[in-house]
Amino acid sequence: MSGLGKRYSTHGPAALTGVTFDVERGELLALVGPSGCGKTTLLRLLCGLTSPTEGTVLLDGRPVTKPPREVALVFQDYSRSLFPWLTVIRNVMFPLRRVGLSRAGKIERAEAVLGEMGLHGVARKYPWELSGGMQQRVAIARALVSRPELLLLDEPFASVDALTRAELQDVLLRVHRDVEGRRVTIVHVTHDIDEAVYLADRVLVLSPGPGRVASSVEIGLPRPRTQTVTRSSTRFLDVRNAIHDVISAQQRSTITTSFEKE
Amino acid sequence: MFAGAFVVWEIWAGAEESFLAPQASEVLARAWEMWPTRAFLTEVAGSLKQLAAGFVIGAAIGIAIGLVMGTSLAARRALDPLIELARATPPIAIVPALLLTLGFGDSMRIAVIAFGVCFPVLINTVEGVRSVSPEARDTASMLHVGRAERVFRIYLPAALPSIVAGLRVALSIGLVLVVISEFAGEGGGLGHYILDQQGQFAYPEMYAGILFLGLLGYGLNLLFRFAERRVLAWHYGAAGERAR
Amino acid sequence: MQRLLRLGKRVNVRGWLVVVLVALLAEVAIQLFELHDSVSPPSETLPALGEGISSGELLGALRTTLEAYLGGLALAIVVGVLFGVLIGSSRLLLDASFVVLEFLRPIPAVALIPLAFLFFGTGTEMRRYIVAYAAVWPILVNTLYGVRGSDRILHEVALASGVSRLGRLVRVTLPAALPSIATGIRVSASIGLLVAVTAEFFFGSAGIGAYMHRQQLAFQLPEMYAAVLLTALLGYTVNVALRLTERRVIHWSGEERFRWP
Repeated sequence: MSGLGKRYSTHGPAALTGVTFDVERGELLALVGPSGCGKTTLLRLLCGLTSPTEGTVLLDGRPVTKPPREVALVFQDYSRSLFPWLTVIRNVMFPLRRVGLSRAGKIERAEAVLGEMGLHGVARKYPWELSGGMQQRVAIARALVSRPELLLLDEPFASVDALTRAELQDVLLRVHRDVEGRRVTIVHVTHDIDEAVYLADRVLVLSPGPGRVASSVEIGLPRPRTQTVTRSSTRFLDVRNAIHDVISAQQRSTITTSFEKE
Repeated sequence: MFAGAFVVWEIWAGAEESFLAPQASEVLARAWEMWPTRAFLTEVAGSLKQLAAGFVIGAAIGIAIGLVMGTSLAARRALDPLIELARATPPIAIVPALLLTLGFGDSMRIAVIAFGVCFPVLINTVEGVRSVSPEARDTASMLHVGRAERVFRIYLPAALPSIVAGLRVALSIGLVLVVISEFAGEGGGLGHYILDQQGQFAYPEMYAGILFLGLLGYGLNLLFRFAERRVLAWHYGAAGERAR
Repeated sequence: MQRLLRLGKRVNVRGWLVVVLVALLAEVAIQLFELHDSVSPPSETLPALGEGISSGELLGALRTTLEAYLGGLALAIVVGVLFGVLIGSSRLLLDASFVVLEFLRPIPAVALIPLAFLFFGTGTEMRRYIVAYAAVWPILVNTLYGVRGSDRILHEVALASGVSRLGRLVRVTLPAALPSIATGIRVSASIGLLVAVTAEFFFGSAGIGAYMHRQQLAFQLPEMYAAVLLTALLGYTVNVALRLTERRVIHWSGEERFRWP
C-alpha cells in the first residue's frame, strides 16, 4: 500500500462504528449507502472537520486533527458554499491568498483551472448568474486550484438535473485522470449506485444504523469510461446489481428488525 | 393620492378656521419662502452634520460589538442582558446624564444619536453573522482562514445584507434623535427650529418645518436605498435567483 | 424547590453577573474619579430607587406613563393591523397609498409633539396619540409585509374550499401574517416607550419622563438615575413578555404553516 491511508472507528452517538479502510494514492473511491448511514460524517472525519471518538484518521501515516492543507472539499449545496459577494474568479482565487504568487500569477492559475472545468468567460460573473451545473464546476475549480492531493466530494451532483449530472461525472473523471500528470486521490460520496460504479475504482458500501462498512467492491472496469459504452457493459450491470443487492439486504434486515421490536 | 391628502388638508383647515391649523396653501406658501433661505438651510445642515457623526460612530460600535457577539457564543450569552437593558433605555433617559457630563453642545447630541443608532445595528449584525451557512463556515475551516481573517473576509460580507437592514432602521432612529436632542440642548438645528416656531406661535412656519423634516426623512431613505442597491448588488441577484 | 431549579437553568446567570460586574465597575470608577456631579453611583441610585418605589412616587409616575404607553400601543395595533390587512389585500389600495405612507412614515413622532400639544394639551391623551402615531408604522409595515408575503397556495386552498372572502381574510391571511405582525409589535413596543417617555420629558407633568426631568432640574441625581433604571427595566420586561407570548401563540411559526383547515 502506498501513500495515503485512512483508518478510523467509532464516532459520536454511534453515527459510525468500527469503520476501517485504506485509500490508495491515486484511487477514486466511492462511498455509497442509503441516507442515515453516516456518509457525511465519514467525510467530515476524513477532512478533519470533526474528530473521531474512537480510532484515528491517518493521512500518509500522520494523524489528522484539523483540516490538512492537502485536502479539499466540495459540498452538495454550491449556492451556500461559494461566496456570493465574490465574482467567480475571486471565489476560485480565494484558496490562493496565502500562496506566494503574484496577483497576475494567481489570476492565471485560477483561469487555467476554470478552463480545465470547461468554463470560459465567466470569470467576472457572480455565482448566481450561472446555472447550477456551472456553479458546481466553479466549486470544484476552487477545490482544485490549490492542487490538493486528496479531493473529497459530498454528494456533489445531487442538486443538479440528470443531464448536467452526466456532464459533471465526466468532468470529474477527466479531473481524476490528468491533473498535471499526477493522479488526484478522490473520495466521492453518493447515494446513486450507478454513479458510484461509473466513476470509481472501488466502491465501499455503507449500511445504516449505525454506519459501518458492509462490503468493498472492486469495480474493474477499463478506463477511459464513457456514459454510453461503459454503462451498457455486462460487467457494469453485474457490479451494479451486486451492490444493489447488498444495500437491499441491509434495508430489509433493518426493516425486519424494527418490526420485531414492535 | 398625495395630492388628495393635500386637498383634504386644505378643505379641513379652511373649515376649521382655527389659527392653530393653518391652511395647506398658507403653509406651502410660507415653506416656499423660507425653505431656500440661508438661515433655514444652515439649521438643517447643522442637524445633518450631527446626524452623520452620530450615525457613523453608533454604527461602528454596533458592528464591532455585533461581530464579537455574533462569532462567540460565550460573548453573546455574557453580554445579552446588559445589551438588552441598555437597548430598553429610551435615549431620552440618558440625555440628562449626557447634559451633565458633556454639556449642552454638539457632543451631547452626537452621543445621544450614537446611542440610539448602535443597537439596531448591533442586533442585525449578530443576526447576520449567525445566519452564515454551515457550508461557508466549513469552507472557511477547510481553507484555513484564521479567526480574525474569517471575521473580516467571510462573516462581515455575508452579514452585510442584514447589517444594511439594521442601518436603515438606525437611520430613522437617528433622525428622531436629532430632533429630540435638539429639543433638549442648545445650538440650533431643525428640531430646535420647529420648537422655536411653536413657541413663537408661528404655526405656518412650524408646519413648514415639520413638512421639511418629512421630506428630509424621505430623501435620506431614498439615498440610502440607492447606495444599498449598489453595494448589495450581489445579494439582490442571489436572493432573486433563490426566489425562483 | 424543583421549580426554582428549573427557573435557574433558564435564566442567564452569566449574563446577569456581567451586569452586576459592570455596576460594580461603575461604582468604583465614579468614586475614584469623583464624578458625583454628573453621575450617581449604584450605591446611591439603588437606594433612591427603593425609596421611590416604597413612597409610591415612582410607581404613580409609572402608572401614568403606562396609561399613555399601553393605550397608544393598543391603538396602534388596532389601526396598524386593520389598515395593514386592508391595504395589503388590495393591489389598488397599495399603489394608491404608497407615496403618502412613504412620506408620512419618516416623520418622527417626536417632531409632531409640538403639533399635538396644540390640539390636545399636555395630558395623557396627547401622549397616547403621539405614541400611537409612532408605534403604528412598524406594525402597519409588518402587517403589509406579512399579508402580501403569505403563500399563494394557502389562498388557493381556501378558495377551493369555498370560504367567503371575509373568512379567508380572518382564517388564512391573518394567521399567516402573524409572525410578521408579532415582530412589528415588538419593535413598536420599544419605540412606543421611547416616545412616551420623551413626550413626558418635554411636555408632561406626570409620568416617568416628567419625573426624570424634574429630578434633573432639581439636581437630584440619584432619583433621576433611579427613574432611568426603572424605565430600562420596564422596557426589558415588556420585551421579554412579548417574546414569551409570541412563542406561545405562534409556536408553529418555525415549522410549516400549512395547518389548514
